[in-house]
Amino acid sequence: MRNYGPIDDVTVFELYPGIQLTRDNIEHYRALAEQKLVINRCGDCGYWIYPHRPMCPECWSLKVKPEEISGFGTVFMFTLLYQLRDPKSHIMEPVPVAAVELAEQKGLRYLSRIVNCAPEDIAHDMPVRLTWIEIGNMEWPAFEPVPGGLG
Amino acid sequence: MARHPLRDTIAIVGVGSTPYGRDLQRSHLSLGLEAAVSAIRDAGIDKQEVDGICGSGMTPLAQGGAGFLSLQGSLGIERCTWGVNSWLGSAFVHAGAAVAAGLCDTALVVQTYMREPNMSRSASADPFRRVLEQFSDVGSDMGGGDFAKRWVHSGEPYAAWMKRYMHDYGVGKDAFAYMAVNNRSHGSRNPAAVMQQPITLEDYHASRMIWEPMQIYDMDVPVDCAEAHVITTAERARDLPNKPVYIHAMSLGGTRVGEFYENSLGWTENAHWVAAKGLWDRSELRLDDVDLFYPYDGYTIDAIGCVEAVGWCKPGEAGEFLKSNWDPADNILRLNGRTQVSTHGGGLALGRAGGANFYSEAVRQLRGTEGARQVPDAKNALINIGSFFHDPSAVMLRAD
Repeated sequence: MRNYGPIDDVTVFELYPGIQLTRDNIEHYRALAEQKLVINRCGDCGYWIYPHRPMCPECWSLKVKPEEISGFGTVFMFTLLYQLRDPKSHIMEPVPVAAVELAEQKGLRYLSRIVNCAPEDIAHDMPVRLTWIEIGNMEWPAFEPVPGGLG
Repeated sequence: MARHPLRDTIAIVGVGSTPYGRDLQRSHLSLGLEAAVSAIRDAGIDKQEVDGICGSGMTPLAQGGAGFLSLQGSLGIERCTWGVNSWLGSAFVHAGAAVAAGLCDTALVVQTYMREPNMSRSASADPFRRVLEQFSDVGSDMGGGDFAKRWVHSGEPYAAWMKRYMHDYGVGKDAFAYMAVNNRSHGSRNPAAVMQQPITLEDYHASRMIWEPMQIYDMDVPVDCAEAHVITTAERARDLPNKPVYIHAMSLGGTRVGEFYENSLGWTENAHWVAAKGLWDRSELRLDDVDLFYPYDGYTIDAIGCVEAVGWCKPGEAGEFLKSNWDPADNILRLNGRTQVSTHGGGLALGRAGGANFYSEAVRQLRGTEGARQVPDAKNALINIGSFFHDPSAVMLRAD
């Protein structure tokens, strides 16, 4: 695992120059740099809040704290890209993009890559789990089938 | 019924459209001005009568584009008491609402679209189009390398919803195929349409895969174009040269899940359903009264969402419904045996205008001025423009 040392705000801004970091989402990216996937959660009623917002839509509590997720979920919906927006890019096999419904809460979905699975084997409601892949010298979240989960 | 003070109190009196083309070598502002001048002349009013403008784009200034300030200055309109930029279904509804509320008396809506560099290889080689992308702004972060934000303002989730729809209802692609063929058939009869060749169901199924299960014939055609509309009070409309087309009822629609598309609610809870209910809570005209139906076709799944949201059939049954309402002689849809759909060819054939050309076509049909393409005795038109996720409109237009 990569070790960035103590990750202060300035470092988070340096690590994610393309991201519009705010005080509501910076903990998510600070955690990503430590290979942890965290989602904001209500400290009063426990509701998971995503995208990252500063108030709980269920109880209006402002006690919102990022919390690490279990990493388990299912594929709610997905598409296979046969053509990318960048006309210069050529892809050898279709690229999956999947909205993973996290086990923590119904409707709580995180958009991600699906890895360690042939594109034609991806299915709706397939159980998946969090893993990490290196892209552009950074570790990013991805999801892979849960072994035995398809049986 | 909901509170509804605007019923039939405002009317569309002017319509203007530019030519549609893959590469017109013009700016957003140039296209927008041509449409605006054409719409104001069509309305038969002096330009200084315009006192409100809805321009194109998603940010207030939209400099370099066809934003409301640029339009006002370019057109030489001295004073406006109302102005905003908007797009998709919202633009028209905002302008109508401003007239109905008395924030202005005569609103001009201008919507410009251009083929963007990420839509084709030749477009991406055009420096004028690349610089547009550099300065484009939807008001927020578009992802910036974080894959998890890839679907902010993206087309890919429509493909994923199409796949989920097929999975949940256990259906194939019939609904999408009939909609695509219908629009291309109408396009082949519209001299303005970029796509002049009709297609068959076989052509549809054989077309290139883009974002599985979405194919090239499921996607609107990126073009350079602009559309403009002049909206004023019903009272003023009766003094103007064109037959007034009244806004009978209209609604926008928003859900608690907006900007992160992957978190959208279920198929029957998305923004089109909210807008449709908003309309039916206000309209005295019902689906049986609709002579012309204009469902937005940015992607065919959008149009199928509109078909089901307004209640032509039950959720998941659009394939069967469209199949049983197919006119094989003309290769078009005739809903319940009569209601024609997207008579101008929509975005799939005429070209991509964010739905603005559906309003233009509806107004011209209700005026009865479409010549060879005129649908006889058309009095009421239902228009649904916008996204599952944001800016959907449901609008009922009527003429006497």
